[in-house]
Amino acid sequence: MGTSRNVERRTILKAAGATAATLGLAATTGCGGDSDSSADGTVTLRYAWWGGEPRTIAIKKTIALFEKKYPKIKIKPEFTDYEAFWEKFQTQASGGNPPDVFQNAVGFLRKYDKRGVLLDLKTQADAGNLSLDNFRNGVLANGQVDGKQIGIPVGANTMALVIDLKAFKKAGVEAKFGWTWDEYFEALQTIQDKLKIAGDTGYFAIMYLYDLYLRQNGKAFFTDSDLGFTEDDLTQWWTDGYKRVKSGLVADPKKIEQVKPKSGLSAGLAASEFTWDNFSIRYEGEGESDYGLAPIPTTDGKDTGQYLGSLMLSAFAGTKHPKEAAQFISFMVHDPEVGKIMGYDRGILATTEQYDAFKPADANNKGVAAYENEVAKAGVLGKITPHPSGADVIEAAFLRLGGEVAQGKSKPADAAKALFSEAKAAFAG
Amino acid sequence: MTLVKEAPVRPAKKRSAAPVAGRRGRRRENLAGYLFMSPWIAGFLLLTAGPMIASLYYAFTRYNLFTPPEWVGFDNFTTMFQDPRWQKSVEVTLKYVVVATPLKLLLALGVALLLAQKRRGQGLYRAAFYMPSLIGASVSVGFVWRALFSDDAIVDRTQKIFGVDVGGWIGNPDYVLYSLVALSIWQFGAPMVIFLAGLKQVPQELYEAAEMDGAGPLRRFWNITLPMISPVLFFNVLLESIHAFQVFGSAYVVSDTRCGPADATLVYTCYLYQKGFKEAQMGFASAMAWSLVVAVALVTAVLFWSQKKWVHYEEAAK
Repeated sequence: MGTSRNVERRTILKAAGATAATLGLAATTGCGGDSDSSADGTVTLRYAWWGGEPRTIAIKKTIALFEKKYPKIKIKPEFTDYEAFWEKFQTQASGGNPPDVFQNAVGFLRKYDKRGVLLDLKTQADAGNLSLDNFRNGVLANGQVDGKQIGIPVGANTMALVIDLKAFKKAGVEAKFGWTWDEYFEALQTIQDKLKIAGDTGYFAIMYLYDLYLRQNGKAFFTDSDLGFTEDDLTQWWTDGYKRVKSGLVADPKKIEQVKPKSGLSAGLAASEFTWDNFSIRYEGEGESDYGLAPIPTTDGKDTGQYLGSLMLSAFAGTKHPKEAAQFISFMVHDPEVGKIMGYDRGILATTEQYDAFKPADANNKGVAAYENEVAKAGVLGKITPHPSGADVIEAAFLRLGGEVAQGKSKPADAAKALFSEAKAAFAG
Repeated sequence: MTLVKEAPVRPAKKRSAAPVAGRRGRRRENLAGYLFMSPWIAGFLLLTAGPMIASLYYAFTRYNLFTPPEWVGFDNFTTMFQDPRWQKSVEVTLKYVVVATPLKLLLALGVALLLAQKRRGQGLYRAAFYMPSLIGASVSVGFVWRALFSDDAIVDRTQKIFGVDVGGWIGNPDYVLYSLVALSIWQFGAPMVIFLAGLKQVPQELYEAAEMDGAGPLRRFWNITLPMISPVLFFNVLLESIHAFQVFGSAYVVSDTRCGPADATLVYTCYLYQKGFKEAQMGFASAMAWSLVVAVALVTAVLFWSQKKWVHYEEAAK
């Protein structure tokens, strides 16, 4: 390296410049990501959701539609799968930089309301930027917590039993409305005897199904701030479950684990699976058989414990453009064209405008609609309560501990005890 | 560095500058040096030192990312030691370190011994064996591994030929950790290259002399090769154990982000990640991180202490 004064000065200047540039760059990226308005008054909103590729393609189409109608609002999409979505969201939200508008679900409402992340959209509705009319079957209530409207439902869904139609037919068993748990397990036995495959993929690790079972018995998984059942209740539930894994009525958890992300049902490991009814659409693409929706078994031959859940859209409390965010949400839940594009991907369309606009053409979407209509007609739908803060952590723990029981790695009583202690920590967090 | 050393000599010769100007020049050049280094220094302070200090503070707080951290003293540490999942994660990690590290080094040394001999296509072999180390940490390899060790996949089918039927390693809590061990062993390239360098340093005349004395290949390996490369072996043991303690990516991907089934691949960092980013218990996660730092430091200290007994440095022999 040269040592003459001139070179030296230049070197120093260059180095200083480089440093300033680096620091400058760091500073820019440090506070980047804010949505902002540009000189011509165009506003950019960040919109985030989770889901598979078909959903992303459909949502992008609806965004294009919105931008055409509102040329002064630009939408920047962000999407990942479910797990990654909430991890990312948590970090963004804690840094004060969550998306302006995002997909939400009942398990997260109280959690992020408590942390001041969610915008009360009622104020925007009062200001005329968002319509709260024409929601079907009272689903709008799903987005309400303590008198605030922090989520606007885009669709309604409910738990169902997705069955392999061919297998059920071959075994000669029928899934009928009002059947009891005993009848359901008898059907699984028949399937096992005649077809030599398991009947179910692992019902006892699904928190939302256990919730239905508890509701059928006058309890619920969550109260406003706690668990709504006892350690003994859960021990019994898991003891029965493990017995059924051992006897082969429920599929081998080792195999179920390995076909992921495919479901055990579409992989042909079992003949039925409890899940949300709108998920059934995905099985047709994944599996080789035909799939249909069957009713949830009951305790008393009548009450299924079901309620209508929903995916919702929420807005960030600190968004710089609450008005535009509200307009965007309103468009997404009311515009008939959007309904036609989205179909039942996020559940049965929540508003009458969208519901009437979309006419399901394929057997799958038709099946979902028929199922939900039947459930609504039966008049047994219960009310949903927003889950307490920490519900998401408990759901993950329930799935994991249920899996340990299924694998024979935990005794049901120990697993139930662990769930209660983890729940305590989750509620405190 | 050279810049600073040369500075006072050259200008003095050429221009016979006054001592004051020389000092000023030196200061100037130091300044230039610091300026050049400043991006790195800034990066280190902002991205490494700062977060580390912050995490040390958080380790003594309850912090959910949203509400301000609340000082709880040693609470995180006491809850941690009583937490059955934390204990499980320690157990899984130790099992992984103890099984994966020696096997990986054994294979690395074995292949290095073969590749140290002169033969045609040597370079090609070395590159081929080193390759997995370059791509091994990637997420895609994790997916490949999941596919290889699943039910009815290639490993399972091969086993069945030999009458072993475990139905895939990935879903089986008793086997899945060994699929991670296999993945670690497969990436033996880096220690192998270091062993190769070590083997090149062993003086040939020692072997010639031993051969003349009638020592067989095993004896030569045991009495000459092993002691001569023991510093390299020590280095590899140290580096690979530290690496093994920090295993994360493979466990996370192979288990489909759940570190299971039944927590069978719940390695330490995986649990740390779950606590921090899924359950938002940053204080607890920081406490876990610092406990890992202390544990790795202890292991390193023990290894350094033990080296007196089995590592031979030539200088020491003289």
